[in-house]
Amino acid sequence: MTLPDPPPRWVRAVPAAWSSLLAVLLLGPALGPGYVLSFDMVWVPDLVLRADVLGVGTGLPRAVPSDAVVAVLDEVLPGALLQDLVLLAALVVGGLGVNRLLVPLDLGLPARLAGLTLWQWNPYVVERLVLGHWPVLVGYAALPWVLHGASRWRVEGRCPARLLLLVPLGSLSVSAGLATSSALLVVLVAGRAPVRRVLAAAVLAVAAQAPWLVSGLLHAGAAVTDGEGAALFALSDEGLLPAPLAAASLGGVWNAAVVPDSRQGLLAVVGLLVLAVLAAAGLAVLLRRPTPAARGLARPLAVLWAVGWGLAVLTWAAPGPVGDLAEVLPGAGVLRDGARLLLLCVPLLVLLVALAVDAAARRLRAARLPTPAVVALLGVLVLWPVTVLPDAAIGVAGRLDAVEYPSSYAGARAALEEAAPDGDVLVLPLSSYRAPDWNDGRPVLDPLPRVLVPVPVASDDLVVDDVTVAGEDPRVRDARVALAEPDPAARAAALGRLGIAAVAEDLTAPGPRAEVAGEQVWADERLRVLVLPEAEPRSVPTGWVAAMGLAWAAYLAVAAAGLVLALVRRRRGTGGSRGATHPMRRNLSG
Amino acid sequence: MGTILGTVAAMIVGGAVAAVTVVGVVSSQTSPQGDSPANVNAPVVQYGATQ
Repeated sequence: MTLPDPPPRWVRAVPAAWSSLLAVLLLGPALGPGYVLSFDMVWVPDLVLRADVLGVGTGLPRAVPSDAVVAVLDEVLPGALLQDLVLLAALVVGGLGVNRLLVPLDLGLPARLAGLTLWQWNPYVVERLVLGHWPVLVGYAALPWVLHGASRWRVEGRCPARLLLLVPLGSLSVSAGLATSSALLVVLVAGRAPVRRVLAAAVLAVAAQAPWLVSGLLHAGAAVTDGEGAALFALSDEGLLPAPLAAASLGGVWNAAVVPDSRQGLLAVVGLLVLAVLAAAGLAVLLRRPTPAARGLARPLAVLWAVGWGLAVLTWAAPGPVGDLAEVLPGAGVLRDGARLLLLCVPLLVLLVALAVDAAARRLRAARLPTPAVVALLGVLVLWPVTVLPDAAIGVAGRLDAVEYPSSYAGARAALEEAAPDGDVLVLPLSSYRAPDWNDGRPVLDPLPRVLVPVPVASDDLVVDDVTVAGEDPRVRDARVALAEPDPAARAAALGRLGIAAVAEDLTAPGPRAEVAGEQVWADERLRVLVLPEAEPRSVPTGWVAAMGLAWAAYLAVAAAGLVLALVRRRRGTGGSRGATHPMRRNLSG
Repeated sequence: MGTILGTVAAMIVGGAVAAVTVVGVVSSQTSPQGDSPANVNAPVVQYGATQ
């Protein structure tokens, strides 16, 4: 049997070019010089690899392992450049992953471009970008590649080396890790892979989650979260759309401040209708003329869609029980941000839309319309996600922009490094978020703890709708008690007993603060740094260090095994990935 | 005849969607920004507000 000729080189380059164009259009000014600081997205010039970053701090491991990965990589690349690369890659790599996922289905270029556009330009991506959940978006980018790799593992019985790199990469946060692990396991289980292969995948998934999992277990006593947050962070109505429909159209984030204006009006309804029509048409194609490849892919994607949408709607329908669960079950708080796991819904929608567009393209060609008319109509089917969400463009209409840190931050860091206090640093005021003028008033998690070198003790309370959702770090509670002492000297002594040797204060930020006695080593109009007279050194329990050492070893071992395996297979010429770009050469239907 | 009508309809639909997209993107960039959710007079900067 002779194989059909592979598509010309320019056709293969179109998805990459289109994906890059969409990413640059979406990020816009965020790719300029400086740092994008938006809600939970805090990047600094040089993050230090210290105890809290490695998961042995006193607070819950909210940025494990993402901060540790950044702390290592920013030794090689400047922090600002690294952030630009991560944001751009999170969009383009995911888009190319969708293209790769759809290639084995023998879909035409317009269908793949339609799927790619929906993947990169939807409310989920936009809202998570503004909310600053970049590790989730890295997991989102890894998702189609993980699905593709897991499908190959299921069919060929040999774990692709790439999967060993992708699973840890897609697990930079708890939510991302859960989504990545779910995708890996659901493909194998739904595809009825042998039990041994499923068990091997489970071991891989657990190893890739080890840093946050072990750190979370070490903090099990504090790992229960304030149930108050469940109602506040639940899936939400969005404009005219009730929450379940908002989730169906990949929106519904809790925070009104990150929702694009177009999602508040009629365009969101139009977007939902177009998506519903295309998804229904794609489903009809799937049911009427199911190719083995499409059917094999659709089954796990349907399961993932149901899990993502179901969990999101659960937080909206039953915030009380979800809050109760978070209060008693360590780690259950991860479910309270209801819309976060909607990334699991996107692959199925992309598949159905691509199938629908492919069927439409075939009909249009059969109708023998002139080429310009066919191009115009296919252009509509590719471009509609942009049409219904136009204000995602140019940095989500200016919500994302790059700024430079004032020189105060570098000065305060250098002064504290020079003073070299033997202990940790308390960050005041005791509130989590800032809205600095140099960031154009955009809210952001206080960057000062990440700028400084010592381990920070900083507020982890969250205030939403004037309601305070209590943080989990017991040391912050102790520091608050210490600050209630009657005079500055007594406060300094009480803080010293907690192992706090310095206080760094943002003078421009509102929030609870108190005078503390100490030697001033830095002060300007923005920041002040004091070194306290005395501090009792605080050590990390040896058991914690050993446990986290094993967890990091497992995480790194998976990635290292992936690299070695890829090199060995490349040398032997058994990598098996090049042929996968051609539909006739790799059928993932099983 | 049908082909001509189809062509005209396709061009109209395609042109309309392209125009709406461009107008939407441009107007979203030129319209005034909404008020920042942050209030410097508030006791603390809030993480956000629900919809």
